[in-house]
Formats: sequence, structure tokens, C-alpha cells
Amino acid sequence: MFGRKGPAGADTGGPQQKGGFLTKLRGVLYGMASHGNVTAALRTRMHLEHLFMFITLGDMLGIPVLPPYYSLRILPYAVPNIESWKQRVFRERDFTDAIY
Amino acid sequence: MLNSPAMFVVLALIAYGIAYFVYGRWYDRTVWQPDANRTTPAHMYTDGVEYFPVSRYVLWGYQYKSVAALGPILGPFVALQFGWVPALLWIIFGNFFIGWLQDYGSIMLSVRNQGRSFGPITYEFTGAAGRSTLLGFILFYLLIISATFIQLIAVFWNTFAGSFVATVGIILTGVICGQLLYKRRMNVGAVTLLAFVLMILSFWLGSTEVGRAVRLNLGAQGALNFNVWVWAALCCAILYVASILPLPTFIQPFNYVSFFPAMFAVLVILLGALITPITGVTLAQPGWKGFWGPAGSFAAGGNPMWPVLFTAIACGAISGWHSLVSSSSTAKQLDVEPDAHPVGAGAMLGEGLLALVSLASYMVLSPERIAELGGASVGAWVYGATLLTEPILGLFMSDAAIQVFYGTVLVIYAITVQALVTRFWRLVSVEVFGEGILAQKHVSTFVGLLLPWIMAVSGSWNNIWLFFGGSNQLLAGLALMLITIHLARVKAPTRYTLLPALFMIVTTLAAIAVQTIRFLQAALGGPAKTLTQDPLKTMAPTVANLIDWASVLIGVALFVLGLRMAVLTLQAYSRAKAGMLAQPQAAPGD
Repeated sequence: MFGRKGPAGADTGGPQQKGGFLTKLRGVLYGMASHGNVTAALRTRMHLEHLFMFITLGDMLGIPVLPPYYSLRILPYAVPNIESWKQRVFRERDFTDAIY
Repeated sequence: MLNSPAMFVVLALIAYGIAYFVYGRWYDRTVWQPDANRTTPAHMYTDGVEYFPVSRYVLWGYQYKSVAALGPILGPFVALQFGWVPALLWIIFGNFFIGWLQDYGSIMLSVRNQGRSFGPITYEFTGAAGRSTLLGFILFYLLIISATFIQLIAVFWNTFAGSFVATVGIILTGVICGQLLYKRRMNVGAVTLLAFVLMILSFWLGSTEVGRAVRLNLGAQGALNFNVWVWAALCCAILYVASILPLPTFIQPFNYVSFFPAMFAVLVILLGALITPITGVTLAQPGWKGFWGPAGSFAAGGNPMWPVLFTAIACGAISGWHSLVSSSSTAKQLDVEPDAHPVGAGAMLGEGLLALVSLASYMVLSPERIAELGGASVGAWVYGATLLTEPILGLFMSDAAIQVFYGTVLVIYAITVQALVTRFWRLVSVEVFGEGILAQKHVSTFVGLLLPWIMAVSGSWNNIWLFFGGSNQLLAGLALMLITIHLARVKAPTRYTLLPALFMIVTTLAAIAVQTIRFLQAALGGPAKTLTQDPLKTMAPTVANLIDWASVLIGVALFVLGLRMAVLTLQAYSRAKAGMLAQPQAAPGD
């Protein structure tokens, strides 16, 4: 399941931005060469996980899915991600969001 | 020194420095007033997938790579019909006063509107009619981009023997690396090293006699040229596969491996341009060729400098594609608001530099040399780049190998973006055609490649290019209008974006109108006047005439949709100025 910090290579903001020249250069190269690919891979994974969550825990979003035995078994593992899952699923999306 | 490309590259660097550090910072303080303490969407909606904070260096690299394509490379060549001075001035001042404002403003607009992209923002500002119009406009816009890029890729493969073999080699390298990365889970460093080896082998193979022998001889260039038809069909087949397969199988790894030669080419040409006082390469193009270009008048086939120059050079000075990229993904990952300036403005000014080095590549070729190239003049960039960098690359490569390298780089720049455009066409088709057959994955992809192929085989690439530039720049004008509407809503100064927006909208609508009239003249004039080239012109004049009419229809559609969008945004701006489009306020007690 997704964490809430983004991909490891993305060098999230804040203090890390104060790194040396090589760190910054690495960041630029990563951004040019890989960042788009990494985020696209994450999106693919997100869509697959959405399917899984819909099937097992769709009732939490008001979708009439009868909670099967396996839903209850995975519930403890899914709990930490339910909030961000709902947030992503309910987010307004548009065709202009899908360019990259 | 004064007669070398280094002179104006240095001058442009100084101008861009002033744009970034002086005008940019003043504009920032005066208009947007970015606040490092204001929560950005990346923090507000962090989900680790679409919204998450990213270092400004990573984001700069991502933004630059996403916006840099064939536009800044070939646009200066089209603009060269008026001389290099107008082209140079537009690249410098267009970017200085308009280009970076649009990229930066698009990021800030999205950041200040919960990270939403241009579709929802257009809906909020101009209503359902505005969003539908934008959707229709983007559909035609994608069609034109596809036609332009597919034809150019075909021409490059046809012109530079060996570039097809090298391109196929790099595609296979990408696919192999994708499998190793995603299926075998190999280390990225090791895979990248392997990619380097395979790509060098691909370029080498392309430059050998065997590689250069892979070419078509179905008809001489210009006469009965079936070659480009077949190359374009091959290109469509590759794009079809790229669009249908999952991203990690084809497009992602191919884009990853092709990044390295593409960036290497830009850096080495920049270096070659800067050392021209040492290498002795001098300017060979006239600075000014007249308002109507060499033709002298509209009746004689010349294009007016206004508006054509401003649409010919698209991405190097300003580009609507950038606003889509900025609002689609970059704004969702901005760590703090002050980062928008280095990311948006920095990447755009960096792309201006790419346009400048491309212009340098054309300027060192004399008009006679370009005339000698004949139908291959669109590939003049390759010959100019070879001339500029031969003192560097010539130490370990032959001229023929250098030309294969640059020819392939041109293809790479085009095909990486075109693969994404083809996929995006599919998504827009779903939005437009809903549950219909045209929204089906394979059908929409097929249609999205067949229509551009028909336009591409018309052979009228420079006319299509002006449609592409017109629609692209018009999108930029509309993006500037959206930015202006937002600024009016929050009662910030609007004149710095409103004036560029009006200039771009009027100019681009005029450019589309000029080009549509040109196609209309051709359509009414029959086979003698057709803009469609051989072999259709000779063998099937009726089809050639139909293609002219189709181009007229596309021009009219672009013009009407663009005009309607402009009117809707201007109305929204008036409402915003009058305080009728104020931002939603929280209810009392919330």
C-alpha cells in the first residue's frame, strides 16, 4: 500500500533541498530521466489498488459490496490506507490531469 | 567574435538572466507574492502518488524534460524565412515578456486552486461551455501535433540514412531495459549502463554501411515520393504499439533511455556554439529577408512576418503545451510556493536556450547550402549542428556518424512526445465520444493515427506546422487569460498577463486565418494551386484537392473554437474585474 511521502528518489522538499552541488545535480538528472516514469508507475499501481479496495471494501464508499470473509481478514492491514484511498477516489479528475 | 553564434548566445544568456533575476523577482513580489508558509496542494492532499512534495531540482528537471521537444528545434528554421534577426528577437523578448510568465503563472494558478488542472479551472471560470470548447479545441490540436510530428519523423528517416536503424535500436534498448527493470527488478544503475552500451551500438550500427543501406527507394525526393508514405506508416505502427502497450513496457523505458542522447546533443551544440570564436564557424545567413520573406508578397506565396513569425517559433518563446504540463502534474508536487519561480520560469528560459542553439545551427549554414539540401532542408539542423560540433565530436566520430546521431536525436525528440500525444488522444476520445465505438481503445488509436497520416502524406509539412504553431500558441494565450482571470478575482495586478494574452490570442487567430486562407486558395484553385505535394498532386489530384479542403475545415474549426474560447475567457475576465467571479468564501462560523 502507498505511503504518504512519495517515491524514494523524488527527494522530497524541505531540508534536503539544501544539499551540495552533486545532490542538486543528481536531483535534476533524476527529474529529467526518471521522475515522470516513477510517478506513472505509481499511478498504475494506484489504479490497481483502487480495484482491489473497491472489490473488498467498496461498502465504505457506499458501494453495495457485501463484506466477505476475506475483507474482514485484510481490514487490519487496510485501515492505515483507507483515509488516503477515499481521498484519492473522491478527488475530482479531468482529462487534462492525464497528460503526464 | 561579432560574426559568430557565440555572440548572440551570450547576449541571450544575459537577457534571460535579467528576465529571471530582475524582472522575474520584481513580478513575483508585485503580482503573485509567493508565501513559503502557505500550504501547497502537495502537502494539503499528500497521497504519495499524484500529490507529494518534490525537491525543486527534481521538479525543474522534470518540467524541462516534459516541455522540451521538437518545437524549439524546428521552429527557428521556419522563422528563418524572415531572416535570423526577427527570429532571435522573438526568442529573446517573447520568452522575456510572455513565455516564462505563462509557465510560472500556470503552476501558481493551479497551486492557488487546490492543484486542479486546466479542465476544472476552465469549467469554474467559464462554465460548461468553456470546458466543452476547450475539449474540442484540444482534440484538433492533438490531431495537428500528430500530423506534424509523424510527417517530420518520416522525413528524417528518409533523409538521414541510418537513423531508422538507430531509432529501432534505441526502441529495442528501451524495451529490454523496461523488462530488466520491472520484470527482473535489476539495479537501475546497471540497467542504465547496459542501455548506454546498447545505444552506442545502435548509433554505430546506424552509421555503418549496413545500417545506412536500410533505406527506401520508392521514388525520388519531391517527384513521386512514396518513401515518406511508407516511413510515416511505419512510424504510425510503432506509435500504435506504444500507445496500446502498458506504459512500463514501452513508453516509459524508451523515454528513459532516449533522454541521454537527447540531452547530450543539446549540451554539445551549446558548447559548440560557445566555442565558435575558437573553431572559426561564422554566421552565414542574412539577418533580414523582408516582411514577406523571400517570396516578396502574399500573392507570390510569401507569409507575413506578423503573425506567422510568432507562431512559427512555438516552444522556444511560448507554448500552450507547457501550461497543460504545468497544471497537470508539476503544480501537484510543488513543495513551497517560492519554488514555482525556479521550476516554471527556469525551465522555460532553459527551453529558450534550446531554441537559441537550434537557431545557431541554422545560422551557420548559408542559404545556398540550405538550397542545395532541397527537400531535405527540414533536416538543416543536423547539418548545422554537425558543423558546430565537428571540432568536438569529430575527435572520435566521422561526419557521417555525427549526422546519423543528430538525425536520430531529432526523431527521438519527436517520437517520445508523439507517443504520449497518441495516448492522450485516446483519453480525450473517451471524453468526447463517451461509450461510442470511437472511444474504444484500438479504434480511437487507429483513427488518431490514420487522420494524421493522411495529413502527413500530403507533404505540406510547413503549412501544417503553422497550424500546429497557431493552435499551440493560441492555447498559451488562453492559459494566460485563465491566469489573468484568477489574478482579477484576487485583485492582483493583471496587466502583465492580460496584454501578452491579448497579443497572443489576436496574433494566433490571425495566423490560423492566414493559413486557412492559404489552404482555401489552394482548394479553390484545383490541382494547379494545391498545397498537397507529389505523388498525390500528380497521380490523384482529386484526393489532393480533398486534402486541401480537409485542411480548410480543420483551420476553420481551430479558428471558431479558439475564438469562442477567447470570447468566453474575456467575458469571465470582465465578470472577475466587476467582482462577480469572486473566490468562494467560507460560511460564517465555519
